[in-house]
Order: sequence, then C-alpha cells, then structure tokens
Amino acid sequence: MNTIIQNILVVTALVLAVAFLVKKFFWTKKASTKSCGKDDCGCH
Amino acid sequence: MGKQINVALIGNPNTGKTSVFNALTGLNQKVGNYPGITVEKKEGVCKLPRGVKAHIIDLPGTYSLNASSLDENVVIELLLNKNDKDFPDVAVVVSDVENLKRNLLLFTQIKDLEIPTILVINMADRMAYKGISLDIDVLEKELNTKIALVSTRKKTGIDDLKNLITNFRDLPTQPCLNAREIDPDYFTRLQSAFPNQLLYKLWLVITQDVNFGNVSRKEVDALDDFKTKSKSDLKRLQQKETIKRYQFINNTLKKGQTIDLAAAKDLRIKLDRILTHKVWGYVVFFMILLLMFQAIYDWSSIPMDFIDGLFASMSEWTKDHLPQGQFTNLIAEGIIPGLGGIVIFIPQIAFLFLFISILEETGYMSRVVFLMDRIMRRFGLSGKSVVPLISGTACAIPAVMATRNIESWKERLITILVTPFTTCSARLPVYLIIISLVIPKGRFLGLGYQAMTLMLLYLIGFGAAIGAAYILNKVLKIKNRSFFVVEMPNYKLPLFKNVALTVIEKTKSFVFGAGKIILAISIILWFLASYGPGDDFNNAEAIVTSQYSKENLDTETLQQHIASYKLEHSFIGLTGRAIEPLIQPLGYDWKIGIAIVSSFAAREVFVGTLATIYSVGSDEEDTIKNRMAGEVNPILGTPLFNFASGISLLLFYAFAMQCMSTLAVVKRETNSWKWPTLQLAAMSSFAYIVALIAFQVLK
Ligand SMILES: Nc1nc2c(ncn2[C@@H]2O[C@H](COP(=O)(O)OP(=O)(O)OP(=O)(O)O)[C@@H](O)[C@H]2O)c(=O)[nH]1
Ligand SMILES: [Mg+2]
Repeated sequence: MNTIIQNILVVTALVLAVAFLVKKFFWTKKASTKSCGKDDCGCH
Repeated sequence: MGKQINVALIGNPNTGKTSVFNALTGLNQKVGNYPGITVEKKEGVCKLPRGVKAHIIDLPGTYSLNASSLDENVVIELLLNKNDKDFPDVAVVVSDVENLKRNLLLFTQIKDLEIPTILVINMADRMAYKGISLDIDVLEKELNTKIALVSTRKKTGIDDLKNLITNFRDLPTQPCLNAREIDPDYFTRLQSAFPNQLLYKLWLVITQDVNFGNVSRKEVDALDDFKTKSKSDLKRLQQKETIKRYQFINNTLKKGQTIDLAAAKDLRIKLDRILTHKVWGYVVFFMILLLMFQAIYDWSSIPMDFIDGLFASMSEWTKDHLPQGQFTNLIAEGIIPGLGGIVIFIPQIAFLFLFISILEETGYMSRVVFLMDRIMRRFGLSGKSVVPLISGTACAIPAVMATRNIESWKERLITILVTPFTTCSARLPVYLIIISLVIPKGRFLGLGYQAMTLMLLYLIGFGAAIGAAYILNKVLKIKNRSFFVVEMPNYKLPLFKNVALTVIEKTKSFVFGAGKIILAISIILWFLASYGPGDDFNNAEAIVTSQYSKENLDTETLQQHIASYKLEHSFIGLTGRAIEPLIQPLGYDWKIGIAIVSSFAAREVFVGTLATIYSVGSDEEDTIKNRMAGEVNPILGTPLFNFASGISLLLFYAFAMQCMSTLAVVKRETNSWKWPTLQLAAMSSFAYIVALIAFQVLK
C-alpha cells in the first residue's frame, strides 16, 4: 500500500520534471521583446 | 477622469531616465552608472494629482534623432508614428545638469516635432559641487517650455514634474528651430510637395531612410517620388542642422547658465588621471580584481561549509523520519543533494553581484570600459563591445541583448559570438568547487592560490573572447567601420538601495532560475540512476554476493559493492559507460561525463548532478565536497579530482558553450540557426581539445 503511493509520487514527480524541461528548452515561446530588467531576459 | 496620459521619458544615455522612471512609478528597474543600461522600452503607471493617471514609458538612451543603432531606433519609431498606442501626449526629456549642452540637442529635435515637451534637468544635487548655477526662468523662456529641476537622488523636484505632466496641455508647442533655415530652397519645395505635413517630420523620415531604411512611412506616403538630393547631400544638410541647433543651444546657455570653475572641486580629473592611466590604470584594475576574488573566497567559506553540512543532515533526517520507500529516496538522494548543489553557492554569487554592482554604481566600470577599449582596438573591436563583454560576467543573455547598441552589424555579430567566453555567474559554482578540491590552500603575499586561480580563469575567459574576436574579424567578410566614444560618467557614491536591489534580484534569479532546472534534472537523474534494464540490474544482489562469496566481506562493504554495481548497470550508468571512451582521455570518469552532459542545459547543474549521482545507493549522508574528494579514478587509482583532471575540467568549463538559453537568445538576435550552431560546435570542440591537452600534459 505505502509502496504504491510512494511509487505513484515518484512517477508524478518524474513526469512533471520532464514536462518542465521540455517546456523550458524545446517549447521556445515567441521571443519576448519585453524588458530585460527584473526577469533578467530569461537568464537560466 | 479623462483618458490616461501617455508620457515618454527620453534623453541621452546615463542621464537618469530610469531613475526618474522609478521615482515616478515606484518600480525598481535597473539603474547603473554607465550608458546603455536600458536597451528596450519599459512601462509603468504613475498617479498624478487630481486623480489623473499617467502611463510612463522609459526608453533607451539616445543622443539624437539621427539614429545609428537599433536601440536608438526604438525612440524614433515611437515619435514618428502618431498611431502607435504608446505615442506620447507629452515627452519628458531628461538631461543631466553637467552635460546640458549635449543633452539639449535632443531636446530641440523633439520639441521641433511639436509634441509638448517638458525638460527635466536631473542631478541637481551635483550643481553646487560643480559650480553650476542656472536661471530657470530665462531657460524656460528661451526654450519655450517648462523645466523641472530634479534630483532623483535627493528626491527633489519630482512633485513639480508630476504637476507639469498633469498640466501638459498648457505647454507651448512652437519649435525651437525653423527647419526651413537649414536649406530654404529645398525645404520650401518639400513643404509645398506635402503641404499637410510637419516639415521637420518630413525631414526626419527622409534622413532616417538614409541611415536605416525601415521607419514606417505610412503617414508620409508617396515620399518616394520626392528624391531630389543625393545621400551625401542629405548628410551634409544633417550636419548643418546640428550646427544650427548648437548655435541656438549655445545662445540659450549663455543667458541661462553660469559655471564657476573655481567653485568646482574636481576630484574626478585627479582620479581619472590614475584610473585610466596607461600603466597604473591596469595595475589598479588588476588589484581590484584580486581583492574581489580574495574576498569572495574569504567571506564565503564559512557560510558555504555551513550550508553544505546543513543539506547533508537534511538528507539524513529525511531518510530517518519519513516512511521508507522510493519517494523518500527520491527526496533524500535526488532532490535534496541536487538543490544543495546550488544553494551552497548563494554566498559567493551574492558577493560577486555585490562587487559588480558597486563597481557599476561608482562609475568605475566605465573606466574599465575605457581601459579595455584600448586593448580591444588592437584586435579590431571597438569599445562598444566591451560593455557586453563586461556585463557577461553576470550572465551572457542580457549581455547578448546589450549588443543592440552596436551600430555595425559585423561588430555586433562578433560580439554576440564571443560573449559566452566571458566567465558568467553560472561557471562560478563549478570553478569554486573544483578549485577547492585541486588547488592548495596556501597564500602568497596574503593572496590565496585559490583566489588567484579564480582570477586567472576570469582573465582566460576575457582572453578567449578577445582572441576569438580577432580571428572572426579576420575571417568574416563583412564591410564595416564604426567609431566609439567612451562616455565617462561621474564618480558617485553608490546608493545602498540600488546596490542592495541588484544583489537581491540577481541572486534570487540565479537561485530560482537555476533551482527549477536543477530540481527537474535531479529528479530525472535520480530515476535513471535508481532503475535499470535487464538482469544485471535486477539481480545485482545475487550477482555481487556470489562474486564476493569467497572473500567473506562484512555486510556493509558488501552493500557498498552492490550499490555501485547497481549504479553502473542503471540507465544512467549504461549511458555514462557509453560516453566514457570520449571523456576518459580528459581524465574524467563516467559520472563526471554525465554531469558534463547535463551541464549543456545550464552549467550550474554540474555540482547538483554529481551530488545526486553520488548520493544514490549510499547510506552515509555526507557533504558534497567530501564525497567529491573521496572519489577514486577507476583506472589510475588516484583521487578522481586531482590537479591534472581538475585543471582539465576548469578549462573545459571555461571554453565550452554549455547554455541552452544563451543559444536561444543568439538565435533570436541573429535571426538564424547558423550562428548558434557554429558557436556550440566551435566553442565545445575547442574546449575539448584544450582540456585534452591539459590533462595529457599534467598527468
Ligand atoms: N548624483 C545623482 N546621481 C543620479 C541622479 N539620478 C540618477 N543618478 C545616477 O545616474 C546614473 C544613471 O542613472 P540611470 O537611471 O540608469 O540612467 P539612464 O538614463 O536610465 O541610463 P541608460 O538607460 O543607460 O540610458 C546612476 O548611477 C544613478 O544612480 C541624481 O539625481 N543625482
Ligand atoms: Mg535607463
């Protein structure tokens, strides 16, 4: 029982992580030409 | 309540537009004591008296309406296009009391567009110091507008400015200079060809075409039919216009401004004599760098060790107190060590930004630009490339954007291509951890070897950038000529608020930006390291137990063997093994190889990746540093991170192009995949070769 929950959590975390990276690096949204102050132009 | 008033802040670079913007809107946009800080327009809202609201736009600095670079063009396009939703109801020209003459050129041009124009004379706090006194009434009469004498530093005059903006409808809109005076014959013909258009605006559109060619001419259509002068004639007329304007300005200032040179206590000249000296200038710069890096080491070693220990105990606590299972392992072995690998660098990053922003705010950075300019010229680059190179010490992305104020395309391209060589803050974590492992702690003349190595790496980065620029300059066949005048702002005491804001903002964006990536990568890496395909991984216990059955190992050692066998046969182990032949000649093992590969997303990931890989399967929770120090090279049997492999790694990170975000920005700014691809390939193969040579020579 407990192991099942833990495994579900692991898989969820993994899917979220992959989704985040894919979105960040491959889904390059339309280049923002907005300000480069606070957001650091998306540095990192 | 009428509609919002559109207000545009315009002015020469470094006159304090953004400071005025911040004072009006209460926002905190970046302010810095050198020209070209703002490269794109920024917007904010200001509440004026009587419930009126103003929409304020901060624009990049521009010397005149005869634009020659991309960021200046932003201003002109806005002013020439009445249909733009941001077209200003009132223009606020911000000038610096110490450079009024030069600043007024732009003012007269904008006034001639017959837009209500308020003149802000900023930095009023410097007047007494410089022996300047102004007769505001006379100036208002001569310039035919209202003036606000402001000091954003002393917070004076802002309310006057707000009142002037509120009552902008009362401002006279007569031009300063009758455009017809420039060349009566030509301008009369021009006007009769387009009787409904403002003469000066026609003139701007025509000349803009000469310099740029992409100003929208919707409003002045059919202009193509009116080409009666050659380009060089137009340029000559433009010069005549400038001379006429300066005559007007000189007359005005003669009446309204007096400068008592005896009253001016000029520290600046004396300081500049040393700080920009042919020899002493560089010596001082060198000393400042050394002190800076030494301080980064000395001040951050205690917090760094503390954080490192804290994360180790957090992992341990998690394992002991959370219910056993894979998710708990993920937290204790994946997430916590991974995040620890970035949080540990907060002190250094904060100190680095502290120094950078103090150097910027005091005005010293502009002297550095001047010093560097002298060197750069020999390599075919102008000083305008220096600003991006220096701001690249924080992050290459804003630096690449900062190249927008370079007029010549060739020079801009070269600068974009070489900027990633400068040591950005993402390299700092990698450098720090490896230096602390492989460079001895000793000191020479009070300066630590470790700090000197760090400084050397920064210099190598600059060197590589300059060298690459030299080669590119020879190779690229693009015609180009550009000139550069370094603007020397005044020395100022840094404003604590500006410095603190920059440090907090930058550190926050470093930690959270990198933190998210590292979090994601640690989760994936942990997964790949904790699971594997096939029988080798699944039957690891049986295989290892039978392998060592004769040796009578105690359970702990046996467990260790099992864990490392599992790791080697996990997904990540297999991948690492596959790339091992490629990196073994550089002195690395497959784990470092994985860390290098994941660093291509972002360099900061390096330490976190190693921390995660080392944690998986090990029972003892240890600090990152101890773990790295304990690793052994499987072939040579020596510590994995020794002098040879350490130097090789440092050099690899110094030269390799490991940052997806920078590549994306380069693609955007150059509008082609060709350049980022070239950058990635050239820089990374160069890094590989250098690292290879370093290891083979030193081992
Ligand atoms: N002494 C003094 N310094 C000021 C004042 N206002 C601004 N500064 C300083 O002037 C420098 C330039 O200010 P910014 O607001 O960045 O100038 P900017 O016009 O936006 O510059 P760019 O965006 O680069 O064109 C900073 O170092 C400010 O701290 C003032 O009223 N008095
Ligand atoms: Mg600005």
